[in-house]
Amino acid sequence: MKLLIGVFLLHALLLADQAGTSLGTSAVVARGDKLFAQGCAVGYCHGSAGAAARSPRLRGRTFEKDYLVKVIRDGIPNTAMPAWGDRLTDEDINALVAYTQSLATATGDGPAPSETASLAPPVAVKDSDLTPDVRQGRELFYDPQRLQRCSNCHRVQGIGTPVSSDLTKLTRAQLAAEAVNALKYGRPRRVRSIVAKDGDRFPAVLIERGESETRIYDLKAVPPVQRNLPNSEIQSIQQQSGWRHSQAVQSYSSDELKSIWTFIRWAAERK
Amino acid sequence: MTRLIPLLMLIGSALLAQDGSTKENWPEYGGQSSAWRYSALDQVDASNVAQLAAAWVFQTGDNDGGLQSTPLVLDGIMYVSTSHNRVFALDAVTGKRLWSYIYELPKTFTTFYGPWNRGVAVSDGRLVMGTLDNHVVALDAKTGRQLWKVNVEDANQCGCNITAAPLIAKGKVIVGVTGGDSAHRGYLNAFDIKTGRHLWRFWTIPGPGEKGHETWQGDSWKFGGGSTWMTGSFDATLGLIYWAVGNPAADFYGGNRKGDNLYTDSIVALDVETGKLKWHFQQVPHDVWDWDAAYEIVLVDLPRKVLINVSKGGYTYVLDRTNGEFITAWPVAKNINWIKGVGPKGELLGRNEPVVGKPKLICPSIGGGRSWNHGAWSPKAGLFFSTGIEWCQEVTAQPETPSEGKTFFGGTFKLVPTPDKKSGGHLGAYEPLTGKAVWKYEYKYPLLASVLATAGNLIFTGDAEGDFFALDARSGKKLWSFNTGSGHRGSSISYSVNGRQYIATPSGWGSAVAGLMQQFWPETEQFPNGSAVFVFALPEQKR
Repeated sequence: MKLLIGVFLLHALLLADQAGTSLGTSAVVARGDKLFAQGCAVGYCHGSAGAAARSPRLRGRTFEKDYLVKVIRDGIPNTAMPAWGDRLTDEDINALVAYTQSLATATGDGPAPSETASLAPPVAVKDSDLTPDVRQGRELFYDPQRLQRCSNCHRVQGIGTPVSSDLTKLTRAQLAAEAVNALKYGRPRRVRSIVAKDGDRFPAVLIERGESETRIYDLKAVPPVQRNLPNSEIQSIQQQSGWRHSQAVQSYSSDELKSIWTFIRWAAERK
Repeated sequence: MTRLIPLLMLIGSALLAQDGSTKENWPEYGGQSSAWRYSALDQVDASNVAQLAAAWVFQTGDNDGGLQSTPLVLDGIMYVSTSHNRVFALDAVTGKRLWSYIYELPKTFTTFYGPWNRGVAVSDGRLVMGTLDNHVVALDAKTGRQLWKVNVEDANQCGCNITAAPLIAKGKVIVGVTGGDSAHRGYLNAFDIKTGRHLWRFWTIPGPGEKGHETWQGDSWKFGGGSTWMTGSFDATLGLIYWAVGNPAADFYGGNRKGDNLYTDSIVALDVETGKLKWHFQQVPHDVWDWDAAYEIVLVDLPRKVLINVSKGGYTYVLDRTNGEFITAWPVAKNINWIKGVGPKGELLGRNEPVVGKPKLICPSIGGGRSWNHGAWSPKAGLFFSTGIEWCQEVTAQPETPSEGKTFFGGTFKLVPTPDKKSGGHLGAYEPLTGKAVWKYEYKYPLLASVLATAGNLIFTGDAEGDFFALDARSGKKLWSFNTGSGHRGSSISYSVNGRQYIATPSGWGSAVAGLMQQFWPETEQFPNGSAVFVFALPEQKR
């Protein structure tokens, strides 16, 4: 009896394959199914086979191919939909598009046959393109395990707080300068010393001086705090702060600073 | 005199006992920092609640994700936060807007953990809030003017953010973080309320050289989750804050993080001044079910100083809050099969773990034996009121490699009916030390709004279909209801101004678990979103 059922199922599968799709398409959809289960059905996202969860239901819905490619690759800003372009190949994205489209007419738990998806447009550079030195420098620059890290005050490639200068805008001469010395002994001229009327004294970077309040970054603790200080609470703002860049890079060794410099140069050249 | 001593001691301990009830104001997220969600106001009571009528309604205008907030009321002003970090200050008598604040979010970033915000904290004339891009921001509570903001960690890097209300204790803003389902290492931070300067960080996963680090395999500690995505509690007498730590990541696959994975799924007690660990109790060592211990921690004196914490796995834990000693654990849901029970020392009996590549029936579902919506403690009734959910899922674990800040689940799930085909929700009145249910109110869908208890022998909550209702705290009998037009996922409160008691509730369907419900109850996809505060009171002549 089991054998009979097995033969029947095989026959049904063959019929389905002949009826609507090529073997190649089935393979693409199957690949998409696997990717979907790993990255899209997970947790609170689109649910098993697109059955809905926190993110919208995909089963029984029709989407344009181009739209799906764009959304999977670039994400949807300010929503839970991330950009997958840096993690998936074009083939992966195509497979996901094919699978998602297959859900349009799906019933039950499995995907339904779908049209073949064409190749997605090319995708941006991948992580794997980085040299080990650049990769290590980048990890150190943003290192989440350190409370004191470069990205507390420098924003590079869209990550970090822009308290200080954009390091990717350094001149060729500055980039050529000897790495560790520049990072260690630099004396940022923008850092002032603020004396508040309550006696609090702290290093700060001025953002904007308004008529009634002054916007600053308070550097007394990390991470820096953006504060809107009423001018009435400020006793004085002094040019010299005594603050040194060496304070900010204490958590890094000289070798680590070298890697970080390699990363900065790489990021500057890419810009 | 010798006879007097025990009496004096009794009076003394009564005076020292934590009073977590609220009166005119609802000053903190959980009412007070002991998270009772109990109002001592009794103008509205079981005898007159049927006359309760709408006083005013405030529409926030942002329906995305519903309204999951707990409004605060201080001296006649209501503060309410919405999705996308908008804050409104309202006249608590009329609902008139006094000021509003819209946090400036970056143009592009991913809100994997949803756009909602669950509340703000107010103290010393300052209002503080955690943001979707993982900042903490402080406003002048009088004007809404921004005073300071600090970036805890770049949201584009960590894939994490802040949706919970901060806790303010001893001038410190203590704030958690999401990220339990991402490759991220969790933490709790304290900031100075005046300046925003960072004061201390407690890593929920110990780093190299720290005690507990040995409970993590290899580098798994760097990406092990342990988020702090809800609000903790504070015992001022003991000088301790209590926080519940979420699940380890990846959620369903633990093959590359062998060990107990401290302090995930744990209650931690920290010194408020330093953030140093005083004690911990781990509910689920090496969790592979996504059972956060994330929810509220209710501080009650019975007279033993205990804490009550409902976990996502469906058990309510009662611990001695002075030392973390396990007292008891009892279920708030009937359908629990991931363990056979909890032993006399709090140990898990008969673990039933997901397996790689093969679906396995696990109850409750990932949405929890209860969701985060909070319970309430009534000292008058001597009962703890909590919702519970009956639903199951088929989980398939799969090995996964972490990628910083990206989702890290280690498996998939699909909701399925309970074996007895009676999926749904309920609200129960429980004896805290026995778990005996004095009564239960049943509902066809999960109940996803918090519970409010009042001295008027009333219990308030709302349901998925938009009914906001009052039950008799002693019998569970429904005494009043009002349909607000959108489902309930927030937390109701009570307050009074000029001697008139008000009951306020957020209304607005949305959230992750509300989304999950669509897998099981497809009709709920049509339930309308909303985002409004409804305020009720007795008609003037009735009080």
